[in-house]
Amino acid sequence: MNLRPYVYAAGFVLGLATVLLALSPQSAGQVKLAAGSFFVPLYSIEARLQSVHYYASNKTATREELLDQNQRLALTNQVLRIQIQQLRATAEENKTLRVQVAFAANNQWKLRLGQVIGRDPANWWRTLQINLGSRHGVREGLPVLTPDGLVGRVHEVHPNRSRVALIGDPACRLSINVQPSRENGILTADGATVFDHTIVNLTFLPAHTEARAGDPVVTSGLGRLFPRGIPVGKLLSVEPVPGALNSQARVKLTVDSSRLNEVWIILP
Amino acid sequence: MKTFYALGLLVIALLTLYLANTLEWPQRITGTRIDPLPALIVCAAMRAPVLALTLLAVLGSLWQTSLSADPPGISMIPLFAVGVAVSLNRRAIHTRLWGARFAVAAAAGALVPLVTIGFLVLLGHQPLLGWFSFWQLAVMSLTSGLLALIFFPLLEWLDHAVEDQPFAAPYDTTTRINRNPH
Repeated sequence: MNLRPYVYAAGFVLGLATVLLALSPQSAGQVKLAAGSFFVPLYSIEARLQSVHYYASNKTATREELLDQNQRLALTNQVLRIQIQQLRATAEENKTLRVQVAFAANNQWKLRLGQVIGRDPANWWRTLQINLGSRHGVREGLPVLTPDGLVGRVHEVHPNRSRVALIGDPACRLSINVQPSRENGILTADGATVFDHTIVNLTFLPAHTEARAGDPVVTSGLGRLFPRGIPVGKLLSVEPVPGALNSQARVKLTVDSSRLNEVWIILP
Repeated sequence: MKTFYALGLLVIALLTLYLANTLEWPQRITGTRIDPLPALIVCAAMRAPVLALTLLAVLGSLWQTSLSADPPGISMIPLFAVGVAVSLNRRAIHTRLWGARFAVAAAAGALVPLVTIGFLVLLGHQPLLGWFSFWQLAVMSLTSGLLALIFFPLLEWLDHAVEDQPFAAPYDTTTRINRNPH
């Protein structure tokens, strides 16, 4: 058997792999962008099919279904309007109090809706792709959330799509606050996250913590990456670490990222 | 060089990678994302020339990592190594037997992610690993074996459909030459 073609091919692959793995993050991003452009026609075909499906299901919906849906939406609308009135009064009160104690005013969030277009094919990362990129004002590090709570942060930005590192991915560690006790900790990932992606590790809680299972966990606002007070999850268990100055806990996340179709990005 | 066959291989790789990236139900059922490339490179290595194998390993790996948080081309070397190992030993593998097809692809399905994780750790990355990763590896191996059972006939059909085939092999072992009949 003639082995020469195999030797040449092996040399080429080894050389190329070495060059690719030695690239800077920016150049690696460019290579990924170029390679990922092969999937663009497939994504646009999928988007077209979805719009056809949406159009067809709209055409075939019965009047009874639409009336029923309309009634439910009207009820939800009434409840939300009452809640807005309540929140408006609270916001006014908050504004007045902030002026009195010379606190900086809270900024309104600029939100943009994005669609999930793919998930990480590797089992050892927890990321997903959305259809918004730098052309839509998305920047690296921006928080990503749903009405239920925090999802993660933007990790990689391309012109028309971005990669979001979900809570539990090594690229998305965040500082949180356990609600009643107001203790801070850091959410990290460990082996348990591989088994159940809605469970993450909470470290650096005080040794004699007052936190208990069932306590709500929200973003602390430290580090200024995530705004304060976004729901993250609930404590599942709290365990002291023998001989250490801190305790460990497990947090059940409020957002099940495997069922996400749409997410919101907080734009700067 | 089987040009059309190589192009067909790349199109299959692109489509299966796209499906693996967008389909949700395999992960909901098994807790594992499926990697079609090890099975595809094993099946391709039985028929394709080394240039087509190299293209599949290079482009397949780049396409896959473009959808992932992995560094670009991290699975290139393990995919190429598996392809070359199968290609060099293609005469020793009984590809007509379904069990052999399954076994070789299943071994590749376990080996490629293991070596990829090894490279990631060596390069200083911190992939998410736990006891459940063994289950994921087992599922990846099993699904790779099952995918090979689909890819083998598909690539055989592709080879016959796009490339000229000789009517008979030049050294037909079924023909008996009797030099001195009397």
